[in-house]
Amino acid sequence: MNSQNPYTPVPAELVEVHDETPTIKTLVLAPSEPVEFKAGQFVQLTLPGVGEAPFTPSGSPREKDRIAITILRTGVVTDRLHECRPGQTLGLRGPFGKGYPLDKLRGREVLVVGGGVGLAPLRALILALLPETDTIARLSIRYGARCMEELLYRNQHAAWAAQKKVDFAATIDRPQPGWTGPTGVVTTLLKNLDMDKANCLAFVCGPSIMLKFATYALEAEGLAPQQIYLSMNRRMSCGMGLCGRCNIGPYYLCKDGPDMNYGTIKDYPNVF
Amino acid sequence: METHYVQNADLLQTLGGPRGKRMIGPAPTPALAWLVSMQDSASLDGLTQPRAAQSPKSLFLPPSESVSTYGPRASPTATETQPLVMLGVRACELRARNYLDKVLAGGEFHDPAYRRRREAITIVSCDCADCAESCFCTLVGGQPFATEGFDVNLTPVDGGFVAEVATDKGRQWLGQIASTPAAPAQLAAREKLRKEMTARLHKQNAAYATSAFESVPAKLPEGDDEGWQTFAADCVECGACTHICPTCHCFYLYDQAAGEDRFERVRTWDSCLLSTYHRMAGTFGMKPTPRPRLSSRLANRVLHKFVYSLRQYELPGCVGCGRCVDACLGAIDIRRVVRDLSA
Repeated sequence: MNSQNPYTPVPAELVEVHDETPTIKTLVLAPSEPVEFKAGQFVQLTLPGVGEAPFTPSGSPREKDRIAITILRTGVVTDRLHECRPGQTLGLRGPFGKGYPLDKLRGREVLVVGGGVGLAPLRALILALLPETDTIARLSIRYGARCMEELLYRNQHAAWAAQKKVDFAATIDRPQPGWTGPTGVVTTLLKNLDMDKANCLAFVCGPSIMLKFATYALEAEGLAPQQIYLSMNRRMSCGMGLCGRCNIGPYYLCKDGPDMNYGTIKDYPNVF
Repeated sequence: METHYVQNADLLQTLGGPRGKRMIGPAPTPALAWLVSMQDSASLDGLTQPRAAQSPKSLFLPPSESVSTYGPRASPTATETQPLVMLGVRACELRARNYLDKVLAGGEFHDPAYRRRREAITIVSCDCADCAESCFCTLVGGQPFATEGFDVNLTPVDGGFVAEVATDKGRQWLGQIASTPAAPAQLAAREKLRKEMTARLHKQNAAYATSAFESVPAKLPEGDDEGWQTFAADCVECGACTHICPTCHCFYLYDQAAGEDRFERVRTWDSCLLSTYHRMAGTFGMKPTPRPRLSSRLANRVLHKFVYSLRQYELPGCVGCGRCVDACLGAIDIRRVVRDLSA
């Protein structure tokens, strides 16, 4: 964070670009000064002269000198970010927000529910938890994508699932040659949830419509609203609670989120 | 606090002061005063007219301003701000400034440009000796005179002003003007004006002084309540209320090139009533927004003023200046909104 001016991005060299899926890339950046973040906090990524967009880093918070940001091509800034090449200088502001409530996870069953590129911020949570699985009861990952090609971090799923106390299931929307796993949207993986529901905390990230139906599915399974955290990684501009753009009721997603406890926001309209 | 008496002629003389020292204040017009350079106005009539049509917000938070320059060839962002005297600031406007202080300079992150401007300004406030029909400060916990937050406060009394000094900055400003200690009769005249104006504001807002305003925060329904649609039907989505409001501060950041290898980040006023405001990333023409309905955007604005702000900053977001009532093309009166929709 620039200590003089929080609007000024810290220069960050783009050192690696990974093609994840036809529509998603991961950019790995080396900031000129450390940008340390807690899992779930977000940064504003600047494409100089074009603008900035908020992303929760998808890498491990333990890596101090590199920041990985996984980006779906979906708008003016992200289209241009996809054209970036290693060696280019981008900018970072942040970190902003509270981050995942890791202190509340001790002894808990942790359910991670991702839709599409929504697995990216959740990967920071997964990577934060993997070396500490002895402190939690279980890490259960449920992931849905449109098709096999759009499955994010596909080469890492098996390694995650191989860890003790971790289980992983993925689904794609429609049957496809070569796919032997479940089909249907991600909520199909939430039916008859085989978890200790009283001791479970769920973290959900994905498009608005997925957040909505995943929340309803989890409630139907018996989870209380307070057990569900929704990643509202959207709408933020300044990141600092000044510009007013990202409110849900009296909460600013940038300051009080971006992961919001559903119990806190559920009575406000326009949550989804 | 120390109180002085300044004659009209002596105060008027300072208005023609050196050009280098900027002084902004209300200039009289047939209707409501407008903020201008006092060096060009040379009249004190604006001080005794109702509050000006525009608030001093833009002097703290300009409609558009470069907040950062970056890139390999960026020159440092300007950090010099010219001192400025703001004359005739009203009590409601001071409350609004306190609110902006909390938002932009009171939390974990500060807006550096706001802070710079804020510190460079000397505030000479002035009691209201008249009010607009839309004024309603007394409904939202305010009063038509300031007791804190100023450097000097003026009260118009016979032939001049009672000047109350609160800070060294204020003492310095008043030191340039001939003054005498305020006489008991002048202080009594000040009290009389304050009581009269307070009574007048209570009277003109009697129709709105229901339990709706007594409840802080207000008991307003959330934006999905149908009641909001009645008012939204009159809203033409022009954003005038947000731009004229002395506490509305929402902004948008955009980047642009400022030369070779130099870029600039600009903070510009935005309005939460506009359909584009809450829009998220998406392909052209397909950008999703969580508040597609005008009624929910209107509700969000009013709820922010009367409910959310109290939770966020422990201050109401409305100071009762009534400017949005005057500015609204659809004749939406926020007093009526709060009164009619409160439980």
